[in-house]
Amino acid sequence: MRSIRRLLLSLLASAGLLATATPALAQQDNLIETIKQRGRMLVAFGTFVPWAMRDRQGTWIGFEIEVASRLAKDLGVQIDLLPTAWDAVIPSLIAGKFDVIIGGMTITPARQAQIDFTEPYSNSGQNVAASKQLAAGLKWPQDFNSPKVTFTCRRGVAGCKTIEERFPKATLRQFDDDAIAFQEVINGKAHVVISSEPKPTFFTLKNPDRLFKPSSENLVNTFEGFGVRKGNPAALKVFNDWIAQNRDWLKSRHEFWFKSQEWEKLVP
Amino acid sequence: MAMTRPPPPTPRRGWTLTDAAILVALVGLVIWMGARASENFQYRWDWSSVWPFIIRVDPETGRWAPNVLLQGLFTTIRLALWGILLATLIGILMGWARTRERLLPRLIGASYVMLVRNIPPVVFVFIFVYFISSHFMPALRLADRVRTWPAEWQTVVELLFGPVAMLDNFLLGLVCLSVFSGAYVTEIVRAGLQSVPRQQIEAGQSLGLTGFDQFRFVVLPQAFRTVLPALAGQLIQLIKDSSLVSLVSIQELTFMAQDVQVSTQRVFEVFVLIAVVYFVLCLGLSTLFRRLELRSARGRA
Repeated sequence: MRSIRRLLLSLLASAGLLATATPALAQQDNLIETIKQRGRMLVAFGTFVPWAMRDRQGTWIGFEIEVASRLAKDLGVQIDLLPTAWDAVIPSLIAGKFDVIIGGMTITPARQAQIDFTEPYSNSGQNVAASKQLAAGLKWPQDFNSPKVTFTCRRGVAGCKTIEERFPKATLRQFDDDAIAFQEVINGKAHVVISSEPKPTFFTLKNPDRLFKPSSENLVNTFEGFGVRKGNPAALKVFNDWIAQNRDWLKSRHEFWFKSQEWEKLVP
Repeated sequence: MAMTRPPPPTPRRGWTLTDAAILVALVGLVIWMGARASENFQYRWDWSSVWPFIIRVDPETGRWAPNVLLQGLFTTIRLALWGILLATLIGILMGWARTRERLLPRLIGASYVMLVRNIPPVVFVFIFVYFISSHFMPALRLADRVRTWPAEWQTVVELLFGPVAMLDNFLLGLVCLSVFSGAYVTEIVRAGLQSVPRQQIEAGQSLGLTGFDQFRFVVLPQAFRTVLPALAGQLIQLIKDSSLVSLVSIQELTFMAQDVQVSTQRVFEVFVLIAVVYFVLCLGLSTLFRRLELRSARGRA
């Protein structure tokens, strides 16, 4: 009897502990105001070539970094760059660990259910690189929708969803980062890797004996926006206005990072 | 006191033929596996792009400066040192609570251990960070407060806890790791406390020591000696578990390593490198504990 009572009591105590763990508070005021008062904008992103990566000095460079830095400068605040594990970036935003995601995040309906997006500030695409040993004889795309074909992707990126939708019969293996997803295909352990351009192109150029691109056309065209916690219409407007004002600049920087390889000499 | 004395050491014998045969077989197996792996493993090793991420030359001053991997190691060491301290404190407090006769402290201790120990570490980290701590961490924003402090104080904070911009993140990871490891330490401490014979406490009582003094001078030192090997194991485990908080973007060694992997595409070089670093770190701590064990064993005789 005693032990049963004790068990019930400890269950009760644990329930009490859990009850205090209800979802994060909605601290909703004006986000822009908060940023300006603090004097710093907390920006989250994931490491993703060439969106955001480390140069030889360990400094952050990339398209995102330029965009976020310029936005902060125009708002008259400093910037805190917070690299964040990509599959946890939305919960972290909701939990209030930073103000905004500027991380090449593709606008998808599933994500829009959780957070708000600005208007697109960049337009990219997803494409694939395939293993020469395993997939050379296969016809793109019809032959790839088969249980014998294995795709890889970085967990949490929009490309994983694309594969599930377009190639439902194929096997999909997800990895924590892109480099490993590509390495699997280079090693001949999987057939195809999906990622956002220009990665499939660059990897194919770097490993011409192991990789090829089944199609030069993008599998999907995507639009990326800043991610903001829901309930911040004023902040969304400020960001959208900024994007509208900087269209040309955004376009030219996008071309620099995604079309040219000039920045390659900056990274190891 | 004969029962607490360690058993006499068993005589150590030299090599036998069987030992040699086993050793040859083991070495052969390792070589064979290595050969198989290098056959099936298409990978061009290139260490040259990894080294600069350990240490760099500052282009402005021309001096050496730690780069991201070394910074990550510093964060891991900070996590480990503070984590060991905090987890041990939590462990002693909760272990003490678990051995009380009153129901409430026992209940609190038992619930804590039950909750933490029966949830997978990864799940625990996520729940802790996103549900529990996100209640109060953003509101706190310690980094903003620290920035208003005088520069010397900020330097001290940076030395103890790492870059100010990452302060909140670091503390979050630290508390999470300590609460997680503390549960295991609690059980070790409890076992230690319960291993101290009743007569020892009675002896303390008859000397007129207060309850707290009995705990401090009689029970805890003896318990500590008994559980030292188990405690050492758990604290070494803590260093390795610190890699778990990379999941919630604490910028420690594993997180930085993943950063470098993505930036350089050198996946395996970085993995091998950090494996070596963790090994050295943990080996250092085990050696330290081994010394401590020998010392406390001397005190016993």
